[in-house]
Amino acid sequence: MHCASDRDRPTLIWLQGVTCNGNTHSFLNLPYLPQLLAKYDLLYHPLLPASSTLSEVVQCKRPCDVLVFEGAYDPLMKRHEVLLSELLDYYGMRAGHIIGVGSCASFGGMFKASAPQRNSGLIFDESESSGPLLALKNKVINLSGCPVHPEWLGYTLSMIADNKEIKVDTLHRPLELYSHLVHHGCTRNEYFEWKVDAKAFGLKEGCLFYLQGCRAPMTHASCNRILWNDVSSKTRSGTPCFGCTEPDFPRNDLFHTKTNMSIPEDVPLGVPKRSYLTITGIAKAFHIERLEGKLIDDKTAD
Amino acid sequence: MTKQLIDQIEGEASIRFDMKENMVDFATIAFPHFRGMEAILEGKPALDALVVTPRVCGICGHAHLMASVRAMESAYADANEPVQLTAKADTIREVTLVLEMIQNHFKWIYLVIMPELAKLRPEKIALTPLKGAYAASLASKALASFAGQWPHSSYMLPGGVSCDPTHLERIKAQSLVDELISFFEKECAGTALDDFLAFDSCHDFNALESDIGEIERALTAAGMHKKGFAYDRFMVLGEHRFTNPAKVMQTRLLQADEKHVKTHSAYSPSEKTFAKNACYKDEFYECGPLSRAMASNVELIKSMHRRFKDSAYSRVMARIFETARLLDHARDMLGSLALNEDSLIPPKPITGISGCGVGVVEAPRGPLIHRVEIEEGIIKSYEIVTPTQWNIGSSVKENPTPAQLAMMGNVTMEEALFIFRTFDVCSVCTTH
Repeated sequence: MHCASDRDRPTLIWLQGVTCNGNTHSFLNLPYLPQLLAKYDLLYHPLLPASSTLSEVVQCKRPCDVLVFEGAYDPLMKRHEVLLSELLDYYGMRAGHIIGVGSCASFGGMFKASAPQRNSGLIFDESESSGPLLALKNKVINLSGCPVHPEWLGYTLSMIADNKEIKVDTLHRPLELYSHLVHHGCTRNEYFEWKVDAKAFGLKEGCLFYLQGCRAPMTHASCNRILWNDVSSKTRSGTPCFGCTEPDFPRNDLFHTKTNMSIPEDVPLGVPKRSYLTITGIAKAFHIERLEGKLIDDKTAD
Repeated sequence: MTKQLIDQIEGEASIRFDMKENMVDFATIAFPHFRGMEAILEGKPALDALVVTPRVCGICGHAHLMASVRAMESAYADANEPVQLTAKADTIREVTLVLEMIQNHFKWIYLVIMPELAKLRPEKIALTPLKGAYAASLASKALASFAGQWPHSSYMLPGGVSCDPTHLERIKAQSLVDELISFFEKECAGTALDDFLAFDSCHDFNALESDIGEIERALTAAGMHKKGFAYDRFMVLGEHRFTNPAKVMQTRLLQADEKHVKTHSAYSPSEKTFAKNACYKDEFYECGPLSRAMASNVELIKSMHRRFKDSAYSRVMARIFETARLLDHARDMLGSLALNEDSLIPPKPITGISGCGVGVVEAPRGPLIHRVEIEEGIIKSYEIVTPTQWNIGSSVKENPTPAQLAMMGNVTMEEALFIFRTFDVCSVCTTH
């Protein structure tokens, strides 16, 4: 038996709208990149060698089973002198699956701000249904995140190559990747439970939700379940979650929690505000010595 | 006039060539895309720049983060509230910046230079792009041990870094750098890192049976040691432990100050471009690894420069050699990183700060400048000057940019397209 010929492998084209290339680079960190690429006939990618050039792709004559789109959609933007709308129309119609990688392609994201009246994601403008591929929305999978986590794209492309069904949420994000919150698996959870805030940045102790702007308890993503670059996450490195997988990213004042009577204005997802207030009051009444000081005193440990 | 569309340069560009007897007489360069990063930043709380500016660029976002935090710390100083930085925070910032440069360089070697060189010398170059991706991912992993993730981390804040690593993270990062050094020795250089770093003449490359040996021989065979010359003057502006800020005229080192840097609109007579040209006292300078090596008196590169000046050969080999130097530097910094200091010394809240600040770092491609004006913690104005604006831009024939000059003269269009890429072009940074 021969191994699968190019004809048997799904063809993949990766196109870009208004972007920083962050998703392209994030994808290159995928630990099983060679194995995944072997399952596809890569026709075009912004960095990896592929069988077509961009000049050939924009002629709209190539096959395309899977269309990956990175960046915000701007109806006036061209790639190699061809309007994005033409490229999306042609390849979107032919593709069996369309993947919006990153929050720009999903919701407009960071680069909605480049032209707020025009730019959007493929089928959402922030959380509103709108965008160039609305008529094809049943084929669209959104992998929001700024950038996309390589394993999320690896999962999606593997599922497609293996002919497996991907169940999605109302924002067309795969349930297996976006059902969890960033909060799940956060190493600061004990501080969250007992409402102990981080006294400043640069500390491994304390929860970043109360003062430092952390959006992990209301952000759908698996950053603390499938670690970044296999080793860490924002909250593990003391950076608040900025909610970059949600339609309202980027919000304003990202390192600061808006509070009312010293309680975060936005409470953890699904928790009634009044109940949260009550439980916070009770938890704060505890004095838990191990959570009040340094876990390890590096000054004496070094 | 012949127009060539260029992609796989972190975006796209077009070059219009004026040819004379099959040789390039002049070329103009246009970058068609623009995102308006500076306008996006205006009116935002200052610290949000630490999240927005890394999104200028998918490959050097960490350099933007560091330029941004330095700009803010400079604004604190301008407001008479100087920020203190521990040696620990300073070292962690430096090591992650260096690791980002390393991932950039590996990708450039394997995903850009080898394929482009293969177009000129098809019989010589075996293409192994995934080696570059793998090496880059090891560097990013080591970086993420401190920064939480790569790309797009925002772990530097005025006064330090947000992470509070233990020796577990340090050892993890060190083991990844050691693994990357072994990979470099076996898969790229074909010799031990220390032996490679001891090279003092281009002849030393001759013995290498390795990717780097192949690249060096293909460059020579393609005549790239006699082509691609720019102005033979170099600019380094970022303060770091691996290089010195300097203006280098041939081999003379002179002082350089960011305040003399201005940008002008690029020249593109027949199509819209959003690029700018960065100049120092109205003059063009080349920046990047060759410039850094000249400014810090790297013996091998100075010897290379004596023979081949600022040719395409020198530009490529200087970046490869810098990769090795930075691997060594990262290993040293991680080995000596002391953790018995604070990660961050909290400054006064930025809402109380009004002032102007400048942050300068050496990014993979050269000096990156962020200039910010803050009023009570809100960004009034923000300006970003990127390395590709120094090297590429586009100007008139009488006063070409370094990349234009390097493509003019005794080169064919195919050679010019290769020479263009020796600058490690970044489209998204050029226009941002």
